[in-house]
Amino acid sequence: MLRRKRWLFAILAILPTLALFAWLRMFPIYETLRLSLHKWDILSRNKPFIGLANFQELMGDRLFHEALLNTTIIAFGVLLITIPTAMVLAALIHYRTRSRVSGFYETAVFLPHVVSLVPAAMAWKWIFDARLGPLNAVLTFLGFEPQAWLFDPTLSVISVIVLCSWQALGYAVLIYLVGFKSLPASLFEAAKLDGASGPQSFWFLSIPMLKPITLYVSVVTLVSGFNVYAQAFVLASDAQGAPGRQVRVLVLDMLENSFRNYRVGYAASEAVVLLVIVLVLTLIQFSLLRERGRA
Amino acid sequence: MAAVEIRNVAKSFGPTDIIRNVTVEVPDGAFVVLVGPSGCGKSTLLRMIAGLEDIDKGEISIGGRVINDVEPKHRDIAMVFQNYALYPHMTIAENMGFSLRLARQSKKEIEERVQEAARILGLSEYLHRYPKQLSGGQRQRVAMGRAIVRQPQVFLFDEPLSNLDAKLRVQMRGELKDMHARFKTTTIYVTHDQIEAMTMADLIVVMRDGVVEQIGTPLDLYDYPANMFVGSFIGSPAMNFLKGAVRQVNGQQVFETGSGFRLPLHAAAAAPDGLMATLGIRPEHLSLSRAGEGLAGRIVTIEPTGSETFVVLQLGEDRISALLRQRLTASVGDELWLAPQLDTTHLFDSATTKRLTGS
Repeated sequence: MLRRKRWLFAILAILPTLALFAWLRMFPIYETLRLSLHKWDILSRNKPFIGLANFQELMGDRLFHEALLNTTIIAFGVLLITIPTAMVLAALIHYRTRSRVSGFYETAVFLPHVVSLVPAAMAWKWIFDARLGPLNAVLTFLGFEPQAWLFDPTLSVISVIVLCSWQALGYAVLIYLVGFKSLPASLFEAAKLDGASGPQSFWFLSIPMLKPITLYVSVVTLVSGFNVYAQAFVLASDAQGAPGRQVRVLVLDMLENSFRNYRVGYAASEAVVLLVIVLVLTLIQFSLLRERGRA
Repeated sequence: MAAVEIRNVAKSFGPTDIIRNVTVEVPDGAFVVLVGPSGCGKSTLLRMIAGLEDIDKGEISIGGRVINDVEPKHRDIAMVFQNYALYPHMTIAENMGFSLRLARQSKKEIEERVQEAARILGLSEYLHRYPKQLSGGQRQRVAMGRAIVRQPQVFLFDEPLSNLDAKLRVQMRGELKDMHARFKTTTIYVTHDQIEAMTMADLIVVMRDGVVEQIGTPLDLYDYPANMFVGSFIGSPAMNFLKGAVRQVNGQQVFETGSGFRLPLHAAAAAPDGLMATLGIRPEHLSLSRAGEGLAGRIVTIEPTGSETFVVLQLGEDRISALLRQRLTASVGDELWLAPQLDTTHLFDSATTKRLTGS
């Protein structure tokens, strides 16, 4: 009887949270999945079921392909820059914790993560500006040709990657710092006696032992990379100044299809593709973690 | 193999002095145990020898070479840690061969030396496993193997058996002694367990509060403790201390306890009449005596173990324990008379706690 009462109490206690979770998390996902199989122009009550027609159309949509390619390049580009840089920065901060300015370094690295996205992107837009930007000023000073960072198709993607990495770095460094702090000091002392230098300890001990952290940071960074939108929207305008056109990304494509072209069902099918990509990446992470657990 | 000399070494962490002017000479090939209670500085001293802590004052030399400013990897030492410090992502073979790999030895050489060490330690069949797939004792052996493959001049052990259960600890003690007998490598071993120190050491260094209290062979420390601390620390069960004074009775020097018992003193004891002193008697040096001879007290506890009986008596304000070879028919609350063997008592100056010469 007592056990049943307790059970009932537990259910009642978590019910509000569960209800909120279902309403805010599960329902939108379900609705997106449902919409992707329908045609809807956002205004009419009529949402005819069209099966996989939206997905078939996506196969031949040049703009979607461009957006998917750009988004993938940005997501993996950010990953490639963020992971090694964050690991090295976290190591430097961790092993210099006696330094008086280590707190400053930690704050300085983490700050971009909490700064509002649009103002930060505006600042970077100025840095990358072809005529007024300090980046080109430095390049010119060093004797290099100034570049049209935000107008060249390749350079503009690189610029978005740099901005996204700058923002992702703070969080990644923070997580790595926690990882470094959890590594047993005696292992590094043993390595020191075994003859390992600092970089060798980092290479042979820290990197392999931080594998779970790296997997976690990778997925978080990749997922946020695939959701890139504001950075590309603010940073990369086309020659006519239309925001986000130079570097077309998936979320922007979805927004345009939904609210400019009034094709919500089609946009939903793009969201489903994004969801599948993110799910696959998460599954890879879990399977890698499980493999490690078995070793 | 090499001798290790520690000369006037000091170390402090902030305002706290951890090691104060310590001097120890470790002979070439000896098995020296640093023993003392927690916080006495023994591990810090070992870490200073290893190069994991800086030396604030004094100098340490290995094989005649001062190593104060020498990198740990160039000190030609190998250390075994309390928690084994095995690299969890490397196999046993990789763990053992890691130092050789860093020293850019050939794969063949590494494999040969790892195989040899594994054979000596009975680890050959575990070389491809990971540390977490081994038991505590096996992990400890791997840690020893990692030290052996380097063929260092000095082995350092930092409480290596603390994480093992009692039975395994006894077994590993034997294995460590065997290993020392086989390699004859100078070994410095830190422990807080005096039994480990007594059973393994050629030479014991007893430390307290960053100071060396006494250096000697195990039996020297047992038979001639330099002060009350060493007397109480070495030997199990711990030495009894009776407070009292030295008196002259009928031309003979006796020790009069606070509760009025008089015990004749060793002929060689050189203590002035009336000196406030403490008599140290080891529990195993007390035996049953006739009424009126020695000390009498009420039995507080009796613990028969079969081969011997451990009793605790209340003597006025003092409590003494005795380890008797006989079986007792007495029970708690009964009066018991015990007499110490004269030549095994230790007389200490109560003020300085130091042993009085000749006692």
